[in-house]
Amino acid sequence: MELLIKIGFVLLGLFIILNWGLIMAGIIRKIIARVSMRRGIKIYQPYINLIKNYSIRSQLSHGVMFYLGPVFRLSGGVGIFLFMPLIYGSEIWNNFSFTGDLILIAYFMFFGMLGMALGAGEGGHPYSAIGISRGLAQFTAIEVPFTLALLSLAIQYKTLSISEIVAMQQGGIMHWTLFTNPVATIAAMLSFLGAMGHSPFNVVMAPQENPIGPPTEYHGTFLGVLQTNRAILHVIEAVLYMNLFFGGASSWLELLVKSFFVYFWSVFVGMVFPRFRVDQSIPWMLKIPMVLGILSIVLLIF
Amino acid sequence: MVNPVYIIAVLLSVSFLLGLFRKPGSDFARLAALITLAFPAIVSVSWLLQFLGEPTSPFIIYTAGSVPPFSINLKMGIEEAFLTSAVNILGFFGFLYLYRTFKESGVSAVVLFLVLVMGLNVVIMTRDIFNLFVFLEITSIALIGLIFLKKDINAVSAGFKYLIAVSVISTILLLGIGFIYYFAGTLNIDDFVSKNSGAVKGMSTAVFLVIIAVLLELKPFPANGWGLDVYQSAHPGISAMISAGMATASLFVLYKILPFGAVYWMQIIAAVGVITFVGSNMLGIAQKNANRLLGYSSIGQIGLMVGIIGFSPMLGKHLWMVFFGLFISHFLAKAGLFWLSGMIGKENIKSWSVLRKQPLLLIAFGVFAFALIGFPPFPSFFGKWQLVMDLAAHGQFGWIVAILLGSMLEGVYLFRWLGYAIKLDVEADQKLDLGIEKLIPVGVFALMLFGASHFAIENVPGGLTLNLIPVYFILLLFVLDFLPAKIKNSIAILGMAYYAWLLYPSLQDDTLRLVFAGIFLVGGVLTLFAGYSVKGKRAGFYPFAIMMYAGLIGLVEAKNLLQFFFAWELMTLGSYVLIIRGKKSLVHAYNYMLFSLGGAYLIFLGMALSVAGQHGLSLSLLNTTHFPGWAYTLLAIGFLTKTAALGLHIWLPGAHAEAESDVSPMVSGILLKGGAFGLIVLFLAMGAEKAGGHPLLYALGWLGAITAVGGNLMAVFQEDAKRLLAYSSVGNLGYILFAFAFMTNVGWLTGLTYSINHFLFKTLLFLAIGGVVMRVKTHNMYEMGGLIKRMPWSFIAVLIGIITLAGIPPLSGYAGKWLFYNAVITKGWYFQGAMVFFSGTIAFLYCFKLIYSIFLGQEKDKFRKVKEVPVWYILPQFILIIGIMVFSARPDLVLKPIGALLSQAGYFPTDPLTWENVTASTNLGYWSGYKIMLVIGVMFVTLLTWLLVMSRKAQKVKQFNIVYSGERPFTPETTHFSHNMFAPYYKALGFLTIPVVTSFWEGVNSTAHAFADSFRKIYSGNGQTYIAHILAYIIIVYLIIF
Repeated sequence: MELLIKIGFVLLGLFIILNWGLIMAGIIRKIIARVSMRRGIKIYQPYINLIKNYSIRSQLSHGVMFYLGPVFRLSGGVGIFLFMPLIYGSEIWNNFSFTGDLILIAYFMFFGMLGMALGAGEGGHPYSAIGISRGLAQFTAIEVPFTLALLSLAIQYKTLSISEIVAMQQGGIMHWTLFTNPVATIAAMLSFLGAMGHSPFNVVMAPQENPIGPPTEYHGTFLGVLQTNRAILHVIEAVLYMNLFFGGASSWLELLVKSFFVYFWSVFVGMVFPRFRVDQSIPWMLKIPMVLGILSIVLLIF
Repeated sequence: MVNPVYIIAVLLSVSFLLGLFRKPGSDFARLAALITLAFPAIVSVSWLLQFLGEPTSPFIIYTAGSVPPFSINLKMGIEEAFLTSAVNILGFFGFLYLYRTFKESGVSAVVLFLVLVMGLNVVIMTRDIFNLFVFLEITSIALIGLIFLKKDINAVSAGFKYLIAVSVISTILLLGIGFIYYFAGTLNIDDFVSKNSGAVKGMSTAVFLVIIAVLLELKPFPANGWGLDVYQSAHPGISAMISAGMATASLFVLYKILPFGAVYWMQIIAAVGVITFVGSNMLGIAQKNANRLLGYSSIGQIGLMVGIIGFSPMLGKHLWMVFFGLFISHFLAKAGLFWLSGMIGKENIKSWSVLRKQPLLLIAFGVFAFALIGFPPFPSFFGKWQLVMDLAAHGQFGWIVAILLGSMLEGVYLFRWLGYAIKLDVEADQKLDLGIEKLIPVGVFALMLFGASHFAIENVPGGLTLNLIPVYFILLLFVLDFLPAKIKNSIAILGMAYYAWLLYPSLQDDTLRLVFAGIFLVGGVLTLFAGYSVKGKRAGFYPFAIMMYAGLIGLVEAKNLLQFFFAWELMTLGSYVLIIRGKKSLVHAYNYMLFSLGGAYLIFLGMALSVAGQHGLSLSLLNTTHFPGWAYTLLAIGFLTKTAALGLHIWLPGAHAEAESDVSPMVSGILLKGGAFGLIVLFLAMGAEKAGGHPLLYALGWLGAITAVGGNLMAVFQEDAKRLLAYSSVGNLGYILFAFAFMTNVGWLTGLTYSINHFLFKTLLFLAIGGVVMRVKTHNMYEMGGLIKRMPWSFIAVLIGIITLAGIPPLSGYAGKWLFYNAVITKGWYFQGAMVFFSGTIAFLYCFKLIYSIFLGQEKDKFRKVKEVPVWYILPQFILIIGIMVFSARPDLVLKPIGALLSQAGYFPTDPLTWENVTASTNLGYWSGYKIMLVIGVMFVTLLTWLLVMSRKAQKVKQFNIVYSGERPFTPETTHFSHNMFAPYYKALGFLTIPVVTSFWEGVNSTAHAFADSFRKIYSGNGQTYIAHILAYIIIVYLIIF
């Protein structure tokens, strides 16, 4: 019975996160359009897209792995959600975070990526494979400053448990990691730009030269699943950064606001800077962000 | 007992009698000589048996009816009995070998041969130095006569040079003997010693002349060009007599006259010997002529034995054991090799591939080569072992280094040669001379090596502690090699399974060892399963596969250093032969062997340093060594050659990639753990947690991290699937090294988890990819593609494999990653840790490339009909998958007892991992493999069901039905995005993969060869130059002494 209640709340949480993801996507696209002097889509356009994709009747499959790719991808997104504590101090909104800590989330990100890569791979379209190879290559460098920042956090808080990290940031804005460990925060936020896949790190799905990258072959329900995942993942990744660096959230409202601004950071940068090639983005990540990451550790050790 | 004087009498009288049968090629003369030669052999051996049976005082033969010093006396003690047995057995078989040759050369050659054997007997037995001189002359003259047997200009000129050199040496010897008689008034050795004649004024010069003459007779480097020319040009049957017979007698002469010299001669003799050993082998590495190379090797080996005689004060009661070990190996192997050379009849060592026409001869060649280098179970292994241990006990580390260097150089050319014989193409028109009279001597000598091994094992200290059951099992497999592969495979599997069952109780409580024993034995059985798919006999595979596993398991079982090193070398030998079986493995197996040999010698040296100044052989001596810095560093580098740490890794990719499909998983997933286990033994010896701050460990930690990045990065840019996996092994072993170097509780759990995981997924991946490669007959991934439809089972296996490799939850790879983070943070190795993490993300790139390029993407026309890999490949893969699943869900089953052992045994009591049911936690975080698996499993199934419902009508489309509305205008080859997949990545980070290490080792190689090549020019082939060398040598030694 207890388990059923738990599952009920988890599903409710997922529902909120999904909707927030869709709305946020709409808002942000609207903002982007306005900045570019366009009218832009309606804010509820992502809902329409989703409903349309799920209702398309023609479905093509290239094979089992192609079929499983979106499942892996969505499992990856939902999984991270499941292992993520959402609201500080709330037993109910802690999801299944008791099964593992920060490291689990850091590594579970790969689950969806890998599945997607394989599914798209079976699609057989060269653009998919090109997109994946770019994404993976770029990803190795993006993770470097993030890892260094995580290590810095672990040194600072002497724990890898996200709930505990959030707990230790309570008691006022000055207790946020942003202020107690600003260098690590900057390193991680630079890494976040890459993780979100907006410009300048969007060569993976670059529409002009590599039509939408890995999901090239996906359509209909499959694409719907991928879009669902993207909505969840964007919010939940922002929630992760919120938990680690911005004091977490003690209510749903705080969560929604903070996650919006964290996510908006990547959009903001993307609006201003042009796209990197892979062989440019990797050295970039391994320069200032990596040095900041190292610095954040050095400052704590000495 | 037959009086040994009859040996001389019979040989001499038959020689004279044979003069009556002058008719050339008389069959009777040859037969009579052969029967005659059996006589001294029987007499000597019977004496030897008597001495071995019950130690009695030596038998002295007085001639001319009076006692010495008024007459000549001969002695037959155990030493003489052994050496005359050797010489006489050699005489018999050497004659048999030359039986047909003598038909052409006539009776005089037969007579010369008998005289030679007789001369050698007397040289060994006599106690009178003038008599010694006379018979040395007689044997030399007989030899020169035999050298002239081969009627070509080179042989004649070599014989002539030999003649001149020997005359010069004899003159010096005679002068010395004259002086001795003048000063001491006696020619009898015992008389000389008992009168303490060495103390007489002026005697030192006399003794100098005698000893230097005997040393020169033994062809010291570099005054030995005359000897080399003879080895090269004489009939190989005669060279065998020189190398094995003449050298035996001369060495004993040196030993006999030792009491003449003052103590300082010992160091000189040792130096002469060891310099000869190193120098001769050094020059050998550039040599391509088989007989001349054997000459270099002979001179080198004889030099080593001269060295042993020089070391005799340090060896004490082990002298004979050490001498026996090295002598008998040289004696049997060198004679055998010269005989083989005669059967091949060509000069270049590359021609030896013809031996493959007669596999038994190839085996004989292998036996001789391994015996010469000193691999177990051959006597030289034990001889060298004891020699080094005794030298170490006296602090003579410089000599040890020199001896090991010489052995290494010998390995350089012997393994190149053996490799050629095993791998090079056989020249079509080449024939082997397969007379029965030639086969018998080779076969008998090869077999005698095994007998001698038995003897050596019994006599080396600690030898009786060796577990020989696996060795006998290997021999059994050799004997059964004629059976079909499937039967042998079953025998091998049953044997290993039975051994595992036997072993389990003794390891039950030692979980650390149990894990490795499990990897070796269970892994062994699983990888052998794949062998069922091989048709035919698979000749020579099983003995060596079992040898490798026997070595590995021997490491786990080892209680003392000898057992450990014995197992280590056994493993190396077996794996070398397994690796060289691959089609293109010639170079790679050679590299593997050289690195292994170098590594083994470093381990050997490290062990020697460890025991120096301590008693016994127990492994625990490593803990209390007096030279921790050097010993530990050497041992570590030695083990790192096997784990292929960056800098020592260049052998691995080729060796693993080019090996046979089912050998790659053996040598990659399993063999590498031998090195890891070595490191564990070393680190525990260093004092576990106490050693945590040791600079060596810090360095190894960095090395591990750099290896992880380097190995993984190189894997990314491979197009060859097996090379990709091989480089991935380099990287993974880097993780393992890194984790063990932590020396903390969680660090070691990380290392063990990595080890177990690497075993599981790398064996799985190599089996799967090996199977695919076997079907598609190419290693290039870009030539494959879309094989998921043809090989779904292999695809699943690879998928599970790469998920584990990449450390993605919920599979067990993640357990390693989680432990790793905790260990890194606890230890404070943040930057190294970040590097290792970075290498982990790099692993994604090659994981994707591997699975995508092979199984996904565009299917090629030529592979539309390939079949799934054989079931015997699939079966072990799925057993491994079950293993991964169990380990992923319940890591506590393995890690909990190991953790308990690590803390309770006192290795790592601080900051242990704690378990609460299935949830592990440290001071930092927590993780529950079982619950994670449950959550992910439920979620995955739910989502899958949902998608199945949503897209239940999905229509399967054809390959090219992609976004161009099915009108893709190109071929699958141009649509499959695989070749140079990570080009931009290379642009960004490729500079890290520039092969500086390979260039470095190539530089070492070419420098050594260039040096050898230019130095050997001193052997100009000019007789006068050789005499000048001899004289210069005498003067230099004189100046050093006086």
